[in-house]
Amino acid sequence: MERSNPTYYLILTLTALFSLSACHGVLDELYDKPKEGIDVKEGQLYIDASSWTDWFFIDFNAANRNFAEGGTGSAFVKMGIPLGDAEAKSTREHPVQQTGIYTYWYDVFGKGVSNNEFDSFKPAEAQPEPETWHIAVHRNNVRTNGGAVYETTYTSMKSLPESSEAFADATFTEDEWNELDVWTIQKQMLNGLIGNQGIAINPVLSRWLSVEFPPPPNFKLNNHVFIVRFNDGTYAAVQLENYQNPAGVKCCLTINYKYPY
Amino acid sequence: MRHTLLYILLFGITLLSHAAEMDSVFYLNDVVVTGTRTYKLWKDAPIQTRIISADDIMKVDATNVEDLLQQEMPGVEFSLAMNQKKHMNFCGFGGQSILFLVDGERLAGETMDDVDFTRLDMANVERIEIVKGAASALYGSNAGGGVINIITKESTEPWTLNLNARMSRHNGRRFGGSFGLNGTRWKNMLNVNGNSVDNFNVHNADNPAAQVVSTVYGDKTWNVKDRLVYTPTDKLKLIGRAGYFYRELVRTADTPERYRDLNAGLKGLWDINENNLLELSYSFDQYDKSDYLKIPHLDVRDYSNVQNTVRGIYNYNWKNGSILTVGADFMHDYLMNKNLGQEEVKQNAFDAYVQYDWLINSQWEVVSAVRYDYFSDKKDSHFTPKLTARYQPIDNLNLRLGYGMGFRAPALKEKYYNFDMVGIWIIRGNKDLKAELSHNFNASADYTTGNYNFTVSAYYNNVRNKLATGVPHYMPEDIQQKQLYLDYDNLDNYSVFGGEATTQARWDNGLSAKLSYAYTNERMPKDKAGNTINNQYIPARKHAITARIDWDKQFSKNYGLLVSLSGRYLSGVKNVEFVDYYDIAKGTNTIHYPAYTLWKLSAVQRFGKAVKLTAAVDNLFNYKPKYYYFNSPLTDGANLMLGLSIDINKLF
Repeated sequence: MERSNPTYYLILTLTALFSLSACHGVLDELYDKPKEGIDVKEGQLYIDASSWTDWFFIDFNAANRNFAEGGTGSAFVKMGIPLGDAEAKSTREHPVQQTGIYTYWYDVFGKGVSNNEFDSFKPAEAQPEPETWHIAVHRNNVRTNGGAVYETTYTSMKSLPESSEAFADATFTEDEWNELDVWTIQKQMLNGLIGNQGIAINPVLSRWLSVEFPPPPNFKLNNHVFIVRFNDGTYAAVQLENYQNPAGVKCCLTINYKYPY
Repeated sequence: MRHTLLYILLFGITLLSHAAEMDSVFYLNDVVVTGTRTYKLWKDAPIQTRIISADDIMKVDATNVEDLLQQEMPGVEFSLAMNQKKHMNFCGFGGQSILFLVDGERLAGETMDDVDFTRLDMANVERIEIVKGAASALYGSNAGGGVINIITKESTEPWTLNLNARMSRHNGRRFGGSFGLNGTRWKNMLNVNGNSVDNFNVHNADNPAAQVVSTVYGDKTWNVKDRLVYTPTDKLKLIGRAGYFYRELVRTADTPERYRDLNAGLKGLWDINENNLLELSYSFDQYDKSDYLKIPHLDVRDYSNVQNTVRGIYNYNWKNGSILTVGADFMHDYLMNKNLGQEEVKQNAFDAYVQYDWLINSQWEVVSAVRYDYFSDKKDSHFTPKLTARYQPIDNLNLRLGYGMGFRAPALKEKYYNFDMVGIWIIRGNKDLKAELSHNFNASADYTTGNYNFTVSAYYNNVRNKLATGVPHYMPEDIQQKQLYLDYDNLDNYSVFGGEATTQARWDNGLSAKLSYAYTNERMPKDKAGNTINNQYIPARKHAITARIDWDKQFSKNYGLLVSLSGRYLSGVKNVEFVDYYDIAKGTNTIHYPAYTLWKLSAVQRFGKAVKLTAAVDNLFNYKPKYYYFNSPLTDGANLMLGLSIDINKLF
């Protein structure tokens, strides 16, 4: 074909562009491919705590043993939240610290969840627990096994004082009854109605991951190191390093810990 | 409200009655292309085409297409969908039925059925052509309600360099630059634009009747575009283009959302001889969404839509002005979406169309077209016809009557979606969806005399098998009603009808004015069983007015001033919504969304030929919605904007 023929130019340039294009796009190199698993180091735990209906109980002794035996520290026990008899009806009466599901209306789409109102209650069994455990996590909530917690200003486990004695004079906070924060049933979320487990949680340690509304929920990580004092006089230092897995799923917790501390 | 309307109309009429005669300065001799895919003078176009010129864009000082259309087109409203995604209602048609084109090319990607409007910045736009009514016989799927074609500028001078900036409230910043170069047989235009505004909180009164917004999300965008035109011979024109778009939006501090687009294309126009014109083009468009996980520094993509399109159009021009157009497109459409059941799907689409634009005599013109579309997924195919007649009884008076069929093929998302919406319900695609069809009838008239231009139009659309999500439901076997589903469905027939009237005037004393009114009656569809569905979007407002008055005066060689006052009024609207989304047996409520009006005053001072200084107050009367509903204007009061534009090439 003669170079003076316009068709020559059209075919040439279209061929060049076709060869450059890709049916599935050309920007792949800009993105990261999320890994299937998490590389957990010694002194670290990874828990997918994104379930609304489960607590994950952590035993630091078991985690230490697991690492010592060449494991990956995945020493936690998952236990479901009792939701009560499926046939039972909820009551409008507001009991005092009775185990069960407390449904509240939250102004999720307006002023935020601090504007809320009790709606109904459905009794359920107490939360089952394993024989031994130190702390338990449920999404952004944390419990201790009869312990108490102090929030330090340290943001690195490495820079912590040598032992917990440095915090002997600190004020530790015990777990407190809560029926507003352990969001368990999202079945009527669009109406602002959320069923919460009535249970004691630690208000200080639960600050390691806060969630703000209106939607979409705005998660905020607090990377301070927390000191946990247990009933047996032992201490642990814990820090939430990340709350997302590599695919971006929230409430997948990477926890740094030092026990005994 | 009635008094306001009356005053505005009286004001317009008073202006008209005092106007001086002069030659027309409207778009009569502008060339439009969108209505027929052939180049026609506006005054002779067989399909009514609304033009928004570069001058209009400058007066509105619009950043993107949303700013512009809301102010210039009555009946166009941008509201919010889930997660504050922008949704357009264009005279009763949603974003999925209005086809956006840039220089004739489709855009990849959608969110809640609408294209990313922030991609469509107004820098370097020559004009925007808007064709209302079904245009599927020429443009295929998604053109059932109309076409909006953004035409970009070509460099016309040996070299041009413009730098501009604008500051506004909430840390709003807009920066832009364009650099044009012309050679003997080539010309190039490079555009770079950045825009950012912070998130800000708004206050709602107690007890809203529907969902409200308490944080308005700002964003940061970057848009880089280059367009090269090469004319190797007098009969051949090659246009190459490439563009990159980036947007970041922060709803969750640790996980900013990112949007990217890469597009490129090549078009060849071969003027074979005075009767024959051939156009071949290739277009590539990739639109991605990702989340940036700040803590582990991972940028994880969750959506990608890639479209590769090849097109050929042939025109044969008879000496009497009649034109035969034959065209065909092939598109490979790839979609990766983590909310699809199978993560990625793809299909090929092919179409061919023929249009005959018959110029019977100097008064009559008839355009007929038919198009065949084929989609490889489910081997779906459609024929869509169109017939339009134009009658010109006297100079500058055009009467048009038309029928067009519109259709919208089910999107891949609508077929294969599977998205658990935070436990509320699972939105599911439906592989058995049929195409949405519409019958559009329209009539219009435009008349230009001296300094005045009048346009009226009316339309009626009957839509069948509308594609949308239906009624939330539990599966029959789910006796305890644990999981709610929301499926895509073909809804029952419904209709949209309305009309628009616009009057414009321009006088030799520098004054110009435009007043437009649109009426839209959108009857919301139900499902085939007659049940009220979960409408994702608030319907169109019945009455809308846009108005603008400008005064432009060149005081001396080195100083000129343009003062512009523009505003819009949108009437209230009612929407039927479920009392309880989890128990639809409880029935529905009618929610009333209030009317509002917004005005903008701007002054552009021109210093010499090169420097323009703009001061504008948007939301002049400091309107603050009592409730920030999804269709309320996202403003928290008057917004002072200061801008500077320098044409470096004109400094010398």
